[in-house]
Amino acid sequence: MRKIFPAEELARDARFIRQTNEQRLGDPRGARVAGGNSGDRLAKLTPELANGPDRARALMHGIFVGEIQALEGAGRTCWDFEVGEDVPLALKLDMARQCWDEARHCEISVSLAEHMGTELGEFAENGLLYEAACNPDPVLRLTGVNRALEGLAIDVFNTMKEFGNLAGDPVLEFCEDWMLADEVTHVKMGSDWLRRLTENDKERLDKALEFQKIVDRLFSFNGFRGEDDDSPIQLTRRFRELAGFSDDEIDEIADMSRDARVEAAS
Amino acid sequence: MTQVSVAPESFEMVFYDAAVIGEVVAEVAERLGLEETIKLEIDEGSPLGRSKVTSYDPIELWVDGGALENTKRPRQFGTARTKDTVGRLLLRILDRRSGRFDDTPADDDLDLMQFAAWDVHCVGRLERLGIGGQRQRRLYQFRNRHGFTDLADSAFEKLWESSELSWTEIERISEGCRIS
Amino acid sequence: MAETKRPREPFAPWDRRALPGLFDVEETAKRVGHYKWVELKLFEALGGWVATVPELDVKLRLGTHCYHHAWHAELFDKRLPELREMKTDRLTVAANDHMVAFIDAMTEPEGPDMTIEKLVGVYRVLIPHKIAAYTYHRNGTSEITDMPTVRILDFILQDEFNDWREGEMLIQSMIESDEEIDRAMVHQTKLEKLMLAAGGIAGPGSIGDPYIDLPEEN
Repeated sequence: MRKIFPAEELARDARFIRQTNEQRLGDPRGARVAGGNSGDRLAKLTPELANGPDRARALMHGIFVGEIQALEGAGRTCWDFEVGEDVPLALKLDMARQCWDEARHCEISVSLAEHMGTELGEFAENGLLYEAACNPDPVLRLTGVNRALEGLAIDVFNTMKEFGNLAGDPVLEFCEDWMLADEVTHVKMGSDWLRRLTENDKERLDKALEFQKIVDRLFSFNGFRGEDDDSPIQLTRRFRELAGFSDDEIDEIADMSRDARVEAAS
Repeated sequence: MTQVSVAPESFEMVFYDAAVIGEVVAEVAERLGLEETIKLEIDEGSPLGRSKVTSYDPIELWVDGGALENTKRPRQFGTARTKDTVGRLLLRILDRRSGRFDDTPADDDLDLMQFAAWDVHCVGRLERLGIGGQRQRRLYQFRNRHGFTDLADSAFEKLWESSELSWTEIERISEGCRIS
Repeated sequence: MAETKRPREPFAPWDRRALPGLFDVEETAKRVGHYKWVELKLFEALGGWVATVPELDVKLRLGTHCYHHAWHAELFDKRLPELREMKTDRLTVAANDHMVAFIDAMTEPEGPDMTIEKLVGVYRVLIPHKIAAYTYHRNGTSEITDMPTVRILDFILQDEFNDWREGEMLIQSMIESDEEIDRAMVHQTKLEKLMLAAGGIAGPGSIGDPYIDLPEEN
């Protein structure tokens, strides 16, 4: 088995159709995001919206394929790097633990999809998340995946949990709360490893944080994730703090989203 | 013979073919026993899934391009999705013409609960005709509007399984969940 | 009132644990190091394969089992310093070159059409050999002096049996033709030969030696 497995070769059954980044970003109507479309000024995802339940369904499917890719990414980190030479054993043990967590998240997402009336593969899959998990530097990989993407997952799960709460859907609220707990753990893993592996290497730390910003920007279509009341996905300050983000870092993500929103509106 | 006119006639943002869309709409209309002219206007720039009847007689429909899209393959036409979208709209028209829906408020005045209840009744009938379906998706939407309760699920069953409810009956079933 | 001064045996009548065991500290550390190496290689492979298998249920099981074996590696890693091996990496090695060759061959399949080979290597060859070696160790070591290892092996064996059963059922559910049976058997045979050459996951003596040396006849 090769080291570094390319995103375009991720194995899927016939139900799943992959949409390339070119196709996604080349859609003149705007890229699909948060169960809606970045070309529109998306409203905050709540059950009161006429298309709220359908947007939640689409978002849940996006979460499901994201969980598969997160599982694949964590699995590849177990394989791609050598203990001692590249990474400490403890980092790989954390990634193996994350594999189990992501596998459970897939199981939860499959059950939620069934609950919400979504067929597996009903929506196109995009491989962007796994691509971030292909970085050959383990520090950059962990920062991009565990801090940027799992950080986004915190925001998404919290939004979905609130959606379940507002809709009076005990199944959705319960599941999202559990997944949220795991995601905080994963982000904290990312924060801890970033600190430990770059303790005496400022240059590598800067590179990793820059990569995190790039990934954050890639997933900030028109600033759909932010702190404004009408942001489709709400930036979750409290859980990010628990996961090792500083106030300055959270402010920076909020600013990035706000700038992206302004830019999209102009 | 059903005549369908599709606007626009050609598409720039999605890979749709007006002739194919016309054929699918005509097929659904004929299955429902509608043999008249149908005008379908598509906002190809919107990937959302909204749809509405803009005129009941003559029949004029308006949809987001996304309401006819294959969700597996963005920008591609989706036959099943189109049948579901158009079937629901046409059944609503048939309902309003049946005499059983004379006291139904105008579409713009219906609230989300009423729309959800009527949709369930429409899609249940469409499924039995072999057009569309997605029962669990409709149940989820219905629960979002009427509660995640056994009472709401039982109301859903009635709406889904019944073949010819009147508006008064639909409203009574929907209201029954509201009271709880 | 209870008689508090009445003497009792230090070992209860039903506690038949015996002091002697088959392995001294040094031998135990050596074996535990080999076990850890195998667990490490296994969880790495399971993690790596997740992206390569299209079958959703297999993908999720591999992700789950990946953690089980990582945890086993961690348990063995923590046991090594207790066995006087402070540089745990020193003993985290394959039992011999044949064992390295076995792992190389087991982890070779990559294509999305090779799920049967991937599963067979793990669940029909490696895990049964692990169960054998761990059981031998668990039953042969002193249940008094080496109880920490016994406790670890008991936890691990519980995982191994469960994972083996799930893996075997996945294999059975995937084999639908004579040709697929042949594929499974060919791969199993290839790997079994490598394992035979290795002498088991901890090298020759992994599960002891059941044969008796007869004295030469006059």
